[in-house]
Amino acid sequence: MNASDSDDDSYTERSALVPSENPVVPSYRPDPDLDAAGDTVRRAGPAAAAADGGGGGGGGSDPEVDADDEELTLKYGAKHVIMLFVPVTLCMVVVVATIKSVSFYTEKTDQQLIYTPFTENTASVGRRLLNSVLNTIIMISVIVVMTIFLVVLYKYRCYKFIHGWLILSSLMLLFWFSFMYLGQVFKTYNLAVDYPTVGVIIWNFGAVGMICIHWKGPLQLQQAYLILISALMALVFIKYLPEWSAWVILGAISVYDLVAVLSPKGPLRMLVETAQERNEPIFPALIYSSAMMWTVGMASPADYQLTESERFQVCSRCVPGVLQVCLSAGGVKLGLGDFIFYSVLVGKAAATGGDWNTTLACFVAILIGLCLTLLLLAIFKKALPALPISITFGLVFYFSTDFLVQPFMDNLAAHQFYI
Amino acid sequence: MLQGKQEPRQITMNLERLPNEEKLSLCRKYYLGGFAFLPFLWLVNVVWFFREAFVKPAYTEQLQIKTYVKRSALGLLLWVAVLTTWITIFQHFRAEWGEVGDYLSFTIPLGIP
Repeated sequence: MNASDSDDDSYTERSALVPSENPVVPSYRPDPDLDAAGDTVRRAGPAAAAADGGGGGGGGSDPEVDADDEELTLKYGAKHVIMLFVPVTLCMVVVVATIKSVSFYTEKTDQQLIYTPFTENTASVGRRLLNSVLNTIIMISVIVVMTIFLVVLYKYRCYKFIHGWLILSSLMLLFWFSFMYLGQVFKTYNLAVDYPTVGVIIWNFGAVGMICIHWKGPLQLQQAYLILISALMALVFIKYLPEWSAWVILGAISVYDLVAVLSPKGPLRMLVETAQERNEPIFPALIYSSAMMWTVGMASPADYQLTESERFQVCSRCVPGVLQVCLSAGGVKLGLGDFIFYSVLVGKAAATGGDWNTTLACFVAILIGLCLTLLLLAIFKKALPALPISITFGLVFYFSTDFLVQPFMDNLAAHQFYI
Repeated sequence: MLQGKQEPRQITMNLERLPNEEKLSLCRKYYLGGFAFLPFLWLVNVVWFFREAFVKPAYTEQLQIKTYVKRSALGLLLWVAVLTTWITIFQHFRAEWGEVGDYLSFTIPLGIP
């Protein structure tokens, strides 16, 4: 499979899938410069109701907001971390379980994505390294171009286009990739399955997925679907990215993430700023939301919108994996691109690493990175990239475990030497 | 402030926060959607609205929600019965059907049947 179509959207899918509508409550920076009253007037309905319900929370005076923020950071920090751990872990578990059982995703294939045209089947190490670096450059440029394109579209308010793009991407992920996945699972377990049954299964899975993600559905189902599609996407990457290129790409994308979000001219930063100027939530990106609704200080039951009471919402946009603090109704949000790349790292460790030590080490590294990122987020309270720390730790742990710890432990075991 | 006409899309759905008419409308849409060969949608409908329909204290729309949930459950049971029957038949007779069996098969197991 040339996978050109699928990967045409591969990057944008990351930025694409979920709720086509914006979060009810726009991201609100606890920034003394913003005029709270002005905000209330300008925001759309839900936020207005939210501001009412929030009262002292969101729209209060600035010193109050700051003090509240501090308290909230401490109070809800741990809960947020846990809320993010669970889905990230689940996604990784799905990916690792698939990698270990379904051999399809680890089989060597000569097919490569069109984004990584240079082959790694070369004679010399130097050539191979060069090829992987070139592949990375191409891949990153594609990502940069797509991000800029998306930012431009957003700037010129081509919402319909973005919306359509998202729907197309999610259609493909939900139907085509899951079809392939299902086929491989059946082959692995040597089951006979007929077309009508498969048709019904895929149709149900896909249609309900589209409904849950793009329209309305129960929260847990939506979360489950987002985890599953991230896992599917990660599996595709693991299968079709050549070995060394995958590692270099992981490294490069963390650097890109850092640059795109923090530098003044970064596309992501511009996106965030444009969204804030317009007082809109950032355009529909892949967002996982662990929701909810601690009904602390909620207004009357009739107030059905998310109230912007004093809760922290950690939003991470996937496109570059921006982590942003949104002062809005509860829950934690994480971009799916982050899920995908974390899972790619752990999946690759499971596929090519020595044994479970490596996999576990990478898993732990990513979670530690996530904790640290959230901590930094609570301290700085501005848009932060979510990928760099975790991926760096993950890479460091992978290579050190694979090349240092593993042989060390094997040797110890071989000599029956216990320390 | 803007309610009614402008229906804000929420990223996270919490049934608690919806007004009753919205709940009814959602339940009905899920019920109708299930007719497009989507028993899974009916399952989601039943699970999601079960508490609303049977556990919560009564309110005006609850009766209708109850009927939708019941009908969804019925449809779901029907589908499960049909699918189970078909799968059993297929698994049992696949080898004997020869060509037709292969034509219908998505994956064919290797080895001795």
